[in-house]
Amino acid sequence: MMRLARKHLDWWAVVLAVGFMIIQVICDLSLPTLTSDIIDKGIAQNDIGYIWQTGGKMLLLSFIGVLGSAGNVYYAATQSQRMGQRIRTSLFKKVTFSSTEEFETVGNASLITRTTNDVVQIQNVMVQMLRMMLMAPIMLIGAGVLAYVKSPKLTLVFLVALPVLAIFTGTIMYFAVPLFKSLQKKIDRINLTFREGLTGVRVIRAFNQDKFEQDRFEGANQDYTQTGIKVFMIVSLMFPVITLIISGTNIGIVWYGGQLIASQSMAVGNLVAFMTYATQILISFMMVSMIFVFVPRAQASAARINEVMDLKSKINDADQPVSLADTQASLTFDHVNFRYTGAEELALANVNFNATAGQTVAIIGGTGSGKSTLVNLIPRLFDPESGQIRVNGTALTAVSQHDLHQAISITQQKAVLFSGTIRSNMVYGMPDATDSQIWHALDVAQASDFVKEEGGLDAVVEQDGDNFSGGQRQRLVIARTILKRASVYIFDDSFSALDFKTDSLLRQELRKDEQVQNGVTVIVAQRVSTVADADLILVIDGGKIVGQGTHEELKATNKTYQEILDSQLRKGDVVDA
Amino acid sequence: MRNGRGSVTKQRPQSFWGTTIRLFRYMGRWIPGIVIVLVFAAIAVILQIKTPKILGKATTELFKGVLKGQAELKAGIPIHSLPVDFGKIGQILLVVGIMYAAAAVFNVIQQVIMNWIAQKVVYQLRRDLKQKMQHLPISYYDTHSNGDLMSRMANDMDNIGGTLQQTLSQLVTSVLTFFGVLYMMLTISGWLTLVALLSVPLSLVVVMIVAPKSQRFFASQQKNLGLLNDTVEETYAGHTVVKTFNQEQNTQEQFEKHNEKYYRSAWKAQFVSSLIFPLMNFVKNLDYLAVAVIGGIQVANGQVSLGNVQAFLQYTNQFSQPITQMANLTNTIQATIASAERVFAVLDEKEMDESADAALPAKTADAGNVIEFDNVAFQYDPKTPLIEDFNLKVKPGEMVAIVGPTGAGKTTIINLLERFYDVGSGQIKYRGENTTSVSRPELRKHFAMVLQDTWLFTGSIFDNIRYGRENASDEEVYAAAKAAHADTFIRQLPDGYDTVLNEAASNISQGQRQLLTIARAFVADPDVLILDEATSSVDTRTEMLIQQAMERLLAGRTSFVVAHRLSTIQNAENIVVMNHGHIVETGNHDSLLAADGFYADLYNSQFAGNNLA
Repeated sequence: MMRLARKHLDWWAVVLAVGFMIIQVICDLSLPTLTSDIIDKGIAQNDIGYIWQTGGKMLLLSFIGVLGSAGNVYYAATQSQRMGQRIRTSLFKKVTFSSTEEFETVGNASLITRTTNDVVQIQNVMVQMLRMMLMAPIMLIGAGVLAYVKSPKLTLVFLVALPVLAIFTGTIMYFAVPLFKSLQKKIDRINLTFREGLTGVRVIRAFNQDKFEQDRFEGANQDYTQTGIKVFMIVSLMFPVITLIISGTNIGIVWYGGQLIASQSMAVGNLVAFMTYATQILISFMMVSMIFVFVPRAQASAARINEVMDLKSKINDADQPVSLADTQASLTFDHVNFRYTGAEELALANVNFNATAGQTVAIIGGTGSGKSTLVNLIPRLFDPESGQIRVNGTALTAVSQHDLHQAISITQQKAVLFSGTIRSNMVYGMPDATDSQIWHALDVAQASDFVKEEGGLDAVVEQDGDNFSGGQRQRLVIARTILKRASVYIFDDSFSALDFKTDSLLRQELRKDEQVQNGVTVIVAQRVSTVADADLILVIDGGKIVGQGTHEELKATNKTYQEILDSQLRKGDVVDA
Repeated sequence: MRNGRGSVTKQRPQSFWGTTIRLFRYMGRWIPGIVIVLVFAAIAVILQIKTPKILGKATTELFKGVLKGQAELKAGIPIHSLPVDFGKIGQILLVVGIMYAAAAVFNVIQQVIMNWIAQKVVYQLRRDLKQKMQHLPISYYDTHSNGDLMSRMANDMDNIGGTLQQTLSQLVTSVLTFFGVLYMMLTISGWLTLVALLSVPLSLVVVMIVAPKSQRFFASQQKNLGLLNDTVEETYAGHTVVKTFNQEQNTQEQFEKHNEKYYRSAWKAQFVSSLIFPLMNFVKNLDYLAVAVIGGIQVANGQVSLGNVQAFLQYTNQFSQPITQMANLTNTIQATIASAERVFAVLDEKEMDESADAALPAKTADAGNVIEFDNVAFQYDPKTPLIEDFNLKVKPGEMVAIVGPTGAGKTTIINLLERFYDVGSGQIKYRGENTTSVSRPELRKHFAMVLQDTWLFTGSIFDNIRYGRENASDEEVYAAAKAAHADTFIRQLPDGYDTVLNEAASNISQGQRQLLTIARAFVADPDVLILDEATSSVDTRTEMLIQQAMERLLAGRTSFVVAHRLSTIQNAENIVVMNHGHIVETGNHDSLLAADGFYADLYNSQFAGNNLA
């Protein structure tokens, strides 16, 4: 928390915030003193002029006070928000520029929470810090000093009042805080059970388990209610008892102060002022103890944010990157081994192949066999453990990631679209694309029909592309990939969401597309029909290339390929073209 | 998680009083408790209001002694200490002390009771909502987002609970304090009261100027936060796309634009809404000094006593509090009633017709139809009829394959069979009995489903398998797990069958979950099986196990299978071909190929055009 504050707060603004707060506190604290002056000098000596004069002073002080606190509020508001803004920016930057591996160690959902909720949490606590938390200690000290000045002896009252207050608050927190934590778990349990009832409604009804679900929920509900009653019973004590302690202190002040006045060691007016200070001291003390509630909450958020900021990237650019050779496109895997961090076994073992411009490499294999892992190595989302991958003859590690990504165009399994228009999504990889180029790419991807129906290139794309079906999103993403001018085109299981007919048409068009044919095409697929016409098919199983060749070769000689073929085609069912 | 996504929750209730009365009816059982709460809150307020004036008497007494002493000193009478009547002051302080203590006790009791009632009411509301959910038709679930329903269960209940717990007694306290303090002030001095009352219009002016501004800024802050969060979600979700298209820098710039916009609206919202405290404090201070000056002059003129002015000053402080509090309360109460309205809206939804109760004939081995679709018509939306005049007869042990491209509406048949939805016209007969004349639970006893969505609840593996049939014995559960090829992996888990599945399902794999759902169906031992064949979201070995388990489950049963495998399709006695929600063809593999329609097209495009064999 301190680390974030040091880095993202402007020290001069914090100083100003403190300064304004001191002004406000001084003014607030002067009012009771002036009141006691009115009593002691004005009333006791019947000096009406003095009363008016003091009243004037009080008016001025109130006015300065409100300016002071407005100034403090201004700096508290701008600084806390500025700090949030800066943390968000650096977090966002860190995340967008981080490598896939770092990204995955924390996970998408958690990163979103950290960038949104956690930062807001810190912002909110920061406002509190710059206002209340700042005011409480200043007020405590100020009121304490003034009270002492009014009457050192009467200050002894606090020797009783403060410990009583501290012990009471401490005891309440000691019992309430753990209960609050368990209450949170119990409410989570209620929500979990209810949510499961929503997501599983069909299964629940199909198995006639309504009553079971009802009982499960009832258990969670009762459990929560019982703890809730207990917790809030304790909390109910809090404010009445604190009020009682403050009132008790006032009684003590009048009694003890009365004695002091009688023995002429204190003026009457001071008594009234002293009582006001006493209340302020006790309330400030309470607020200071609230820090122990607020800060840990922000601390947890801060720790989560720092964890992201501290991630170190394993994939870095070479110190002096060379630029990618401008030769004919080619893609080479040279004895490549890959292992996920901490994994015992290789995820990919000894992958070797070479492909040149105009060729299509297809990778087929079961789920989890390592197909996606293989293609993820090409844009350096991960680095191989050993061996070398070359694009256009240049090793990936020798070029900058920026140049490398410029030379690669990839469609992933999950079709990601951004909110905007069809056009803004299409030109994502090629900002200067003309309309006719875009339409051509859409044609190839079999997407132009529905794009026309939706209203053309300026049709709106909602967040996550929600206004398009899965198959349509997939085709748009393929179009985006084709549009980009690259040396290597990668389609990672992109055709599986398409029906067979579209799949086949799309591949025919790809074959004819000049720009794509100037590069190497890599297709990852599950269907034999998708890969059958590739120049080179890699059959992958358990991270190993168990066969490589054309469809005819593999069909004749490769056992795994035959099995895949069999599972997709009835045995002996000869389908002639 | 999508809290920021411009979702504007309705803050204003549509029928304020109607909903309030209904909410109060929920508290009907606890009316005596509420009366006690209100009475105790009132007593506590009265005590708290009285005490400053009584404490003031002590000060007056002190001051009297001081003046008397000073007079004596002036008169040259030598005294050790000023002649203060400590006996009287002691008495006053004792009374005050007792009153403070009593107020605290009343307040504690009042809050404990109110909290108890609030918890009970919310408990009851939650229970009713959950119970309601089991009587709502599936169409309700399908047309309402889970997020929305969750928010009613979580946030709205929370709002209601919080308000019942605090707001009710706060409202009483505030109103009573306001009038009580006013009364006490009047008993002290009419003039001073008039001065003090000046703060009321001043406060109102402050609230009226600041509140709408702050609301406006907050709305724009909320909107910008939503946009900002959307950008974050979108960019993170597309992390690799952003990366491989070299868009990091552009995205960053875009984000910073949103971030700056959010900052601008956020600090204003924060500033303006926080400004209300200094401003109200200023009004309070003005009031305080006015009372101090005018009161001082009056004391000097002998019109009021010093103690009374001291009491009056305390009252001025107490006076401004209920005004701000009431302003806050109206917002809270409105939001709460809106919450209650959202909860009641669910409770008022139309329930399923559950009156059918015809008995099903005992399961016999006769050769009649197990399932018969008889002129069935169905549509989700009255404007777009999906299924019309559909006829199908299924004999015992037969398999019906449902095929079609993704999104073709294959689940519609499942919806109708399980009576998640009821047919528009025509009949579906189970062993000759119209399914709509049987109660749903009775009908479903004879069915079991295995879906791709592997829903399991947070509980032990054992309980999840037994979910198929409540009265299944332990042995039956183990046997089912073995039959589903799940036994081996379950026993390898550290806690075996007692392993508690967690919500994120991180402790077992997707494929293993699928095996558990198959085991669950085994336990149910249904007459008719509804199966959604898994596509390839699992590893090869598990896929094989699933395949084998499913085949074993299918053996000898009448079944409806959403089919992805050619072998399944070819073995099926009946094939229902669907596209765009409609049933386009029915028949068997050979007859459909011969018909050369949609099915033939689908089949050929996959397997024929590529010279595969």
